[in-house]
Amino acid sequence: MTTFKIGENTFKLAEIIIKDLKASENLGILKCIQCGMCTSVCPAARHTDYDPRGIVKRVLDKDESLFTDDIIWNCFYCYSCHSVCPVNNSVCEINQILRQKAIDIGKGKLKVAPFSEYAESYLECGLGAIPDDFFDDLLKDYGSEWGEFKDNLEDIREELGLGSMSLPDKDVNEINKILEKTGFTKRLERVRRCKDEGDTR
Amino acid sequence: MKEIPDKEILLFKSCLVNVEYPGVESSTRFLFDKLGIEYIVSEKQSCCTGLGHYADLFDQFSTTALAARNFGVAREEKHKNIATLCATCYAILKKSANILNKKDNVRKEVNKIFDSSGISDLKYTAEDMDSRDNIFHSVEILYNKADEVPDLVEVDLSGFRIAAHHACHYCKVHHKDTIGNVRNPMVIETLAKACGVETVDWYDRKTNTCGNGFRQRYMNKELSFSITAEKLLSLKENEVDILLHMCPNCQLQFDRSQKVIGESIGVDFNIMCLNISQFLALALGADPYKVVGIQTHSVPVEPILENIKQISSY
Repeated sequence: MTTFKIGENTFKLAEIIIKDLKASENLGILKCIQCGMCTSVCPAARHTDYDPRGIVKRVLDKDESLFTDDIIWNCFYCYSCHSVCPVNNSVCEINQILRQKAIDIGKGKLKVAPFSEYAESYLECGLGAIPDDFFDDLLKDYGSEWGEFKDNLEDIREELGLGSMSLPDKDVNEINKILEKTGFTKRLERVRRCKDEGDTR
Repeated sequence: MKEIPDKEILLFKSCLVNVEYPGVESSTRFLFDKLGIEYIVSEKQSCCTGLGHYADLFDQFSTTALAARNFGVAREEKHKNIATLCATCYAILKKSANILNKKDNVRKEVNKIFDSSGISDLKYTAEDMDSRDNIFHSVEILYNKADEVPDLVEVDLSGFRIAAHHACHYCKVHHKDTIGNVRNPMVIETLAKACGVETVDWYDRKTNTCGNGFRQRYMNKELSFSITAEKLLSLKENEVDILLHMCPNCQLQFDRSQKVIGESIGVDFNIMCLNISQFLALALGADPYKVVGIQTHSVPVEPILENIKQISSY
């Protein structure tokens, strides 16, 4: 059981989340009465130990071990909890914010590192792409016809009367400038380094 | 219901539609042309960051700044009503517009970046874009024209059992802006019925996620597939032949992974997957290969072609 000192701000973690840029307006964490609607509709809760109601309880208990707990990575971001909550809370958004904190403090970087190529493609042509590292596994699941389709993608797009997927160089340059100044390019470098070194710090 | 435009529309390209189901874009263009919807596609528009954003790789500020740039592009092109092909683009752009309108510090910071990047013309002014009045899913644009569809139908698709999967990021993220009841959405069915077909309006797990879950499909595959399987089993129980979609990520999950999921649990599902725009385009006489793009699908869509009846031949 968590014990709080008299005068301690027990809602510090909840307040950090509420103030986060990702949090919807009037996010109702502090109104949660643990009714469990979120858990009742959650696909991850049906199949794993993940429990959205429990996540909110831990946030309200200022349990910062959430940042390093693998359980926050089980959410599907399907927003089912978000759409049924009677007090405008959103465990889906809470998870997104907790994962960002996990990335900031280190452990989360390795979790997102497998997707770094998506952003590299974005910087290269203004368009995200499923990382090549997943290709062999996907090919096994999707079958060789999918691989053949991928080889013929440009021809099929032309047949459908669709233009080029990449942005003109000028626009790609704009995007690179924006992402450098938002700090994203540096963030991506740190994630990438983490992937290369297998470093979990 | 919210007011839905039929002109000054920027059809917002999607990264997954581009590379997996390009027929969704060509079908939507075909339908917009048929229904007299005035739109453009811009080569300057960048991807919404969606898959990267929800794989937690992109931070909210960067995603918002890129959305502001795309809003500037729409404004410069004089087509500021955005219609997305993907539910995640829809959710991300709406969220970004809300942030830019309500958080002065974020808007100022984004504009400062635009100034120093030589794109002052794309700067964002509060209320430039309204999340509810300017940002739509392309299926909503079509839904608004559902009454005009029956007169345009050329092909009878009524021989199939049809159900819909409404994407979570359309229904549940900005649920107050969703057309109809988010606990039993009927946007797709309404459009399908306009083509003269019957639909399975409710089935167990109808509002469940497709199971893709962004990182889950790639890092936690068994869990992802077990959730997809639940929905596939319910569809099988309801003898569904065609599942209609409004999001390429969901379509990818149900179409491409259907066979391997079926093999793992010993069930032959064989449920065809089409975006509602592809289904409508087929009904309105579009070429299955040169417009609808069925050659990019994993579960073969050819059975539809074998069974379709030309209405004009009656």
